[in-house]
Formats: sequence, structure tokens, C-alpha cells
Amino acid sequence: MLMIKRLMTQYVPGMLTCKDVDSFLYDFHEGQLSIAENLKFKLHLSMCRECKTYVQGYKNAIRISKEGVKTAEPIEKVPEELVQIILKSRIKK
Amino acid sequence: MEKIKSNSMLAQDQENHLIDKLLVNDNKAFDRLVRNYSSKMYAVARSFLHNDDDAQECLQKTFVQVFIKIHTFRRDASLSTWLHRITVNCALMILRAQKKQRTISLEDFSQHYNEYGERTTFSDNSGNNLEQIFERQETKTVINEMIRTLPEKYCNVIQLRDIQELSTKDTAEILEISEASVKTQLHRGRLLLKAILEI
Repeated sequence: MLMIKRLMTQYVPGMLTCKDVDSFLYDFHEGQLSIAENLKFKLHLSMCRECKTYVQGYKNAIRISKEGVKTAEPIEKVPEELVQIILKSRIKK
Repeated sequence: MEKIKSNSMLAQDQENHLIDKLLVNDNKAFDRLVRNYSSKMYAVARSFLHNDDDAQECLQKTFVQVFIKIHTFRRDASLSTWLHRITVNCALMILRAQKKQRTISLEDFSQHYNEYGERTTFSDNSGNNLEQIFERQETKTVINEMIRTLPEKYCNVIQLRDIQELSTKDTAEILEISEASVKTQLHRGRLLLKAILEI
């Protein structure tokens, strides 16, 4: 598979290298690649196990950070004492 | 559908009414403002800050700003969005004041390629491994600690874009940087977080 990938990136016009994948990664995740770029990106992933793992890790890092923050710290109701302090601070002002 | 629409309009009417009352210094309106919006604002503050004490301090400081600035509220954004922005700004100010030492650098995890542009450094950690680790409750707390140890500029954009789900434009406005910088810093921050999570 490595040889096929290398031959394709060398001889097929427009084929992305792993380095190209890195530079397109942000736009790929944000859905901002053109249709052609998106296809090239996915074609590279279909041939490259390392990039596929790398891109999956990128996606997972985003999702895990999001879920980690949301689930680790359940939000409780703001204590009445704090509400009173805030309201009093306005009166003092 | 009609019902959803009418509920939305009702909420908008109530918000407009509340703003009108706030602008004439109605005490009951301020009471409603604090009671109705503080839980959500507290959640935003808590997602940025290390503990409940800091989040409570942030909430107090935010409302001080709100009380001062309410007369400048122009209604070009919703009241919730406006409060959200002030909360984030206060949280960032508190974080800056704490000046936590952050020593992790993206260069420590930079990618390398051979002469064919092929990746020569890669992790064997698959996404599945991360998933398995994440199932453990204690890991979630560690993940939060990891996010907070990122360099401030990366931590801030991840908080705003990925966690708070603000737009690039809003993030740029709050952090007072260009939208291009938001994109660059977000991408670098994500890569750094990915690398840390895969160690």
C-alpha cells in the first residue's frame, strides 16, 4: 500500500501527500474544502492508514475535550446567597 | 411548527420587555435578570475556570460589568449573547490574572515527513483507545486539566469555538484577534491537545 500511495502521489496530478493532508485538515474538519479538495482528501485517507488514524485522532480530541468539559462538571443552580450578593452589589453601585 | 414559532416570539417579547425595564433601572427587572440568566452564565464561567470559587468570582464581576454597561446594550444581539460575551471576557481576565505557567509547546509534537511528503511520525494510538480511556470518569477531570494547561491562546480558542461553540467571528471579537488567527490558533490547539491525549 505504501508503494501504491507513493507512486500515486508522484505520478497522478493533484494527489495529496501526508503533508498536504495536514495543511487541509482544519478546512476538512470545518467542511470548508471544495468538492474536488474534499475528494482528494478522502482518497488519500483511503490509501493511508497513518493519515486516517491521524485525522481520526484530531476529530476525537475535539469531541473528547467538548464532552469532557460538559460531563465532568455538571452545572448546579447558582446559590441564593450568591444571587443576593450580586443584587446587593448593584445597590451599592 | 406554529407553536414553536409563537413560543420563540413570546420569549423575544419577554426579553424586550425585560430590557425596557432594565433601561429604566427597575429593581424587579434586575432581580429577574440575575435569577433567569445566572445559571447559564455560571456554566460558561465554570467551563473556563479551575474551580467554583473562581467561577463565582467571575459571575460577580460579570454582573458588575452588566450593571454598568446595560445602558449601552444596543439590541443588535440577543441579551443572552451579550451576557455570554461579558462572562467570557471576565473569565479570560481572571485566567490572565492567575498567570498560570504553561510550558507545553506544539513544537514538542510536530509532524515530520520524508522526501515524498509521507508522514514519518505517527501515533499507534487509535481513536478507539481514546474512546476507551474516556469512558472512565476520572479521565474526564484529567482532560479538563489538560485543556487548562494548554498555552493560553490555544486554550481560549478551544474553549470558545469547540466547547462554547461560538462562531469564528464572535471568537475573534471576544479575543480581539483576526478571524485568521482564530483558525490558526484553533487548529494548533487541537493538534496539541490531540498529541497530549495520545501520550
